[in-house]
Amino acid sequence: MSTPLLELRNMTKLFGKNAAVRDVSISIGQSEIVGLLGDNGAGKSTLVRMISGVTKPTEGEWLWNGAPITHLSRSVTEGLGVETIFQDSALVDQMTITRNIFMGREMTNWLGLMQIKKMDAISSEILDSVVTIEGIRSPRQLVGSLSGGQKQAVAIARAVHFKRTLLVLDEPTSALAVRATEALLAYLGQLKAEGVSSVLVTHNLHHAFKVCDRHIVMNHGEVILDVRREDTTVEQLTAGVVGGRTALAEYAAPHQA
Amino acid sequence: MQTEIPLPVPSGMSAGPALRPVRAAEGRTLATWFRDHRGRGALEVTILFCLLQLGCIIYWAMDPKKFAYLSAANLSVMSQSIPWLGLLAIGAGVLMIAGEFDLSVAMNMGMCELVFIRWYGSGHSAWLCAALSIGLGVFIASINALIVNWSHIPSFIATLGMASFWWGMQNKYVGSGGPAPRIDDAKVSSQLKTVISAQLGLGIRGQMLWLLGVAAVVWVFMHRHKLGNHIFAVGGNEHAAKAISISPTRVKWMAFAILGALAGLAAVLQGVQQRTLIPGSTAGYELEAIAGAVIGGCSLRGGKGSVFGMILGVAFVKTFQAIVLLSSLPAYYLKVFIGLMTVFFVIINQYFEGKAE
Repeated sequence: MSTPLLELRNMTKLFGKNAAVRDVSISIGQSEIVGLLGDNGAGKSTLVRMISGVTKPTEGEWLWNGAPITHLSRSVTEGLGVETIFQDSALVDQMTITRNIFMGREMTNWLGLMQIKKMDAISSEILDSVVTIEGIRSPRQLVGSLSGGQKQAVAIARAVHFKRTLLVLDEPTSALAVRATEALLAYLGQLKAEGVSSVLVTHNLHHAFKVCDRHIVMNHGEVILDVRREDTTVEQLTAGVVGGRTALAEYAAPHQA
Repeated sequence: MQTEIPLPVPSGMSAGPALRPVRAAEGRTLATWFRDHRGRGALEVTILFCLLQLGCIIYWAMDPKKFAYLSAANLSVMSQSIPWLGLLAIGAGVLMIAGEFDLSVAMNMGMCELVFIRWYGSGHSAWLCAALSIGLGVFIASINALIVNWSHIPSFIATLGMASFWWGMQNKYVGSGGPAPRIDDAKVSSQLKTVISAQLGLGIRGQMLWLLGVAAVVWVFMHRHKLGNHIFAVGGNEHAAKAISISPTRVKWMAFAILGALAGLAAVLQGVQQRTLIPGSTAGYELEAIAGAVIGGCSLRGGKGSVFGMILGVAFVKTFQAIVLLSSLPAYYLKVFIGLMTVFFVIINQYFEGKAE
């Protein structure tokens, strides 16, 4: 097997005495879509924050293409090409759609002055073609005036435009309409063909099952299942997400017989 | 960093009613311009400012003797009092956009002004003294930035403490009970007077050019430069900015430093004009500067404001000052007006912010 794109070894994150994530080891392959599943409080969001470098682990190793990264930070992971859509969207309400999409990565001339018209045009184009969503009038609208789904679309547009090697999506479809969700999931497949890996965090097992090559199920901060799509079923994943280890064992018993 | 990607039309998207594309929906008409500017800081205050000016001019035209609004004397007073407060308001406004306050800005300015007056009075070159004043302003503001960034305590309380500190330091610098430093009028070179406060005609003084020049530079920086965009981002949603690897620490320091530089420049303008300063007598400027920024549409929660609005906010305050003076009302009316106006503008700005698209 080739070297994984990203490998986390024995990651633990303590908040005070409580472990949000305990001794988790996972890997994300090259051009692979991995579903990260689990109930609320399973530690998915903390793990996502560690993958994207926003949260530093209490213990554990973070390896990129087999090379350990010792001083993990968001600017390091950004340099490597990790792009994240956070559950809370991480948008600035008081700024326009364009300024949000290009925030921190503005297109500028040599003086650092922003090329606003150029950025507006690109924003319109991504919003029209990738995350088709209704009701956005202009890229100069303030994000604060958008609905939850529209905000999510802007966050996705940003991640998609700056996609490079690893796209991490934390509950991206929670506020999207059915059609926009379909479009997004189809798009992940397209990115995969271009060599981009994705981590899809979701509650919706059917979405995950449809597009993910592999599934990782978390429960109480630990990984309880790490399985390829062809080796599992929606039923098994459901059992793991809902009932934890016990339910998985119960599910396995009759199937082994 | 930016990889252009081909934009696919995902399968399954063709069905259903046609979506209205974002670009096609956008025509550049007056209506869309209005929708894109409503509630973002500058539009509302501009309209009210024009109405106020219109009212004053009509009153003046009806009775120019009783209300000498467009007289050379009044224009001279206004064009000398708006600029330094305007500079402070721009500084306070930029910092408010970054989500912080500096209540020590008046004492910072006072300290710079004392240093400027003493050094210039003792014969050093104007350039050196001005550079010293601006540098000191940046230094004092940077200490505030350091405290806020390091301790994460609200800047409101940190700078309240530092205001008292620098008030005390002003007295120490002058020597307790000693005479306030002074520059003799004869000692101020005519060159410096021209650079700072030349007569521009109609009584308008050169300080206005300084304000407009600085405002133009800060406008470009805040509204067109990427670093200005970062200041808006950090003030609007610090966590979002951090997630995109914008450093809030660096951005906040930058906003404090801009405020400090402008306080140092304001000190030079006022120092040349007044030629003396009693330690501590700049007290209260910080609130007027914040009032100016708030009237001009800056949000107290950060992330929103416009440089144009900040200047109009100060012009608003100073127009009311002129009205009080010209109508021979008791001076305390000014305080009453500023107070009411600040509250009124916070309310209407909040109302229009809700209407912003």
